[in-house]
Amino acid sequence: MQKNSSPLIDFREVKKYYILGDESHYNALNGITLKIEKGEFVAVMGPSGSGKSTMMHIMGALDMPTGGNYLFQGKDIGKLSDDKLAEIRNREIGFVFQAFNLLPRTTVFKNVERPMMYAGISKSEREKRVIDAVKLVGLDDKAQNLSNHISGGQIQRVAIARALVMDPSIILADEPTGNLDTATANGIMEFLQELNKKGRTIIVITHEEHIAKFAKRRIRLVDGKIVTDTKT
Amino acid sequence: MDYKELFLQAITSLRKNVLRTALTMLGIIIGISAVILIVSIGQGAVKFITAELSAFGTNFFSINPGSSAIAAIAGGQKNLTLEDAEAIEKNKSLTNVKTVIPFTTTSIKVSANGIDKSILVYGSTEKMAEMMNPTMLSGEFLSEDDISVASKVVVLGTDVSKDFFGESTNPVGERIRIDNKPFRIIGVARASSALLEGSLNDTLFIPTTAVISQILGQDASLRQIGIKVKDPDLINQTIEDVKVVLRDRHDIGEGEEDDFTVQSFRDILTTVQTIISLLTLMVAAISGISLVVGGVGVMNIMLVTVTERTREIGLLKAIGAKQKDILTQFLMEAVVVTITGGAIGILLGIGGAFLISLFVPIPFVISLPSIAVAVGVSAFVGIVFGLYPARKASRMSPIDALRYE
Repeated sequence: MQKNSSPLIDFREVKKYYILGDESHYNALNGITLKIEKGEFVAVMGPSGSGKSTMMHIMGALDMPTGGNYLFQGKDIGKLSDDKLAEIRNREIGFVFQAFNLLPRTTVFKNVERPMMYAGISKSEREKRVIDAVKLVGLDDKAQNLSNHISGGQIQRVAIARALVMDPSIILADEPTGNLDTATANGIMEFLQELNKKGRTIIVITHEEHIAKFAKRRIRLVDGKIVTDTKT
Repeated sequence: MDYKELFLQAITSLRKNVLRTALTMLGIIIGISAVILIVSIGQGAVKFITAELSAFGTNFFSINPGSSAIAAIAGGQKNLTLEDAEAIEKNKSLTNVKTVIPFTTTSIKVSANGIDKSILVYGSTEKMAEMMNPTMLSGEFLSEDDISVASKVVVLGTDVSKDFFGESTNPVGERIRIDNKPFRIIGVARASSALLEGSLNDTLFIPTTAVISQILGQDASLRQIGIKVKDPDLINQTIEDVKVVLRDRHDIGEGEEDDFTVQSFRDILTTVQTIISLLTLMVAAISGISLVVGGVGVMNIMLVTVTERTREIGLLKAIGAKQKDILTQFLMEAVVVTITGGAIGILLGIGGAFLISLFVPIPFVISLPSIAVAVGVSAFVGIVFGLYPARKASRMSPIDALRYE
């Protein structure tokens, strides 16, 4: 019951600092409090060094806060074991990165299939889901292509297909259009918009205004703090 | 994780860098093929020697002078006489004794056609032919008459004949001087077994009686008395009976040590087999050291691979790979390298042993246990030397791995 009533993402005074080479602290996040509910389409914006990537890594259970609490579906991420965190990343979060999204020299099919292998899903079910996912992103004719034999836009679509196969609660995209031309970038964002309309929660990290405009809610970070949080 | 899928992934990863994978395997290939080759040769040698020694039959034993095997080999003892041999032969209670073959050995100057050489001379009876089973290339072996009248006749080993008279001359009827005394050549013999080549082809055979009367003198001791028995199952009892006869003749009291040594071919066979097996094991173990070197090579390359694929590891962790998944994936790659290397090594080892068997008189033997051990050792090397790099990969923090440049 807690799962239904709790927000998907609940940041409570989350802080993150890094210790630099000269042993000084670099504060990436300075006490962020934030809630994201199921079905939202959020863009996290900010200039370089504002802490948006750090925020995304913590949201994706790839990194841990050094202060405050992060509750994912009501569970305190900081109290979970490495394997439990891996399970959350596998089942609840679909990642789309800016670069190095796919396993090199591995087919599109195998890339999309991989998260399901970690979840112990049967081969026949995996095959069915891969076919559905690549069809959804319009790449059913490229399933047997190697990841280094497809374009940048297609790579991002494969990453989205991979993010979708486990039917996660959230899709977390870190600068997903950073390496793409405007037309391809708009195509990817429109696709994410379509997914959101079907009820999928999407969080996009970007420093580009026109990309952020695709989202319904825009959070702006500066120096590790939320300066604006607007909904359209 | 699906192990078949993991295996296929490992093959895919390794195929991405074929040359590196092949070079990594080389150490394992060399180690395994060397072990397989040596074990195969060793077992072939045991089989060969067993077959050769068995040609003498298990119905044979020998009596050597001296109270220990070492003294018997050294041949320094002088307490076994032609009379001892006769006593055994004529003893009616020794019903299982079939043939008694006494002989002496001595290295003596032999001259013919202006050539002088020191050659091993057997002083033997006509029964020596039963033990040595020589192939007569020309003439005849020693006869009973030659022994009884101490004829000054000689049978040449084929190499001796070639040394003194050349390849094409048949020396039968010619004379040769042994210890400066003329002997008539009555035959040329060749060993019918490779094992006896050294003891037959390079030697001379003259009657025991002639050796004693002409060369060694009356107090000469025999080098050995060979005894063939009728029923090999009763050989141990016959050995005991012969010992009683000899102890009586040599006035050895109760509790005193024998002044002779008895060896049966079964003993010799066991000793030789043990020695060869130990030598094989030792050399195989030394070759096995190269497997450790190969394993270190595997570890080195796996560490490089883990570093190169750090971002890939980060990505896999981001999509849900647990520590165990990453560990198994990299361990599988190391084991695939070593097992493939091991399989190639096994094939090369077997091929090498087969080639060697074509050129030397050792039979081609494939040892299934050594192959099983080789496969096991290959997998073990993969696991042991792949574990550290795989553990290192599995324990990476996902965010550090993703950020790795």
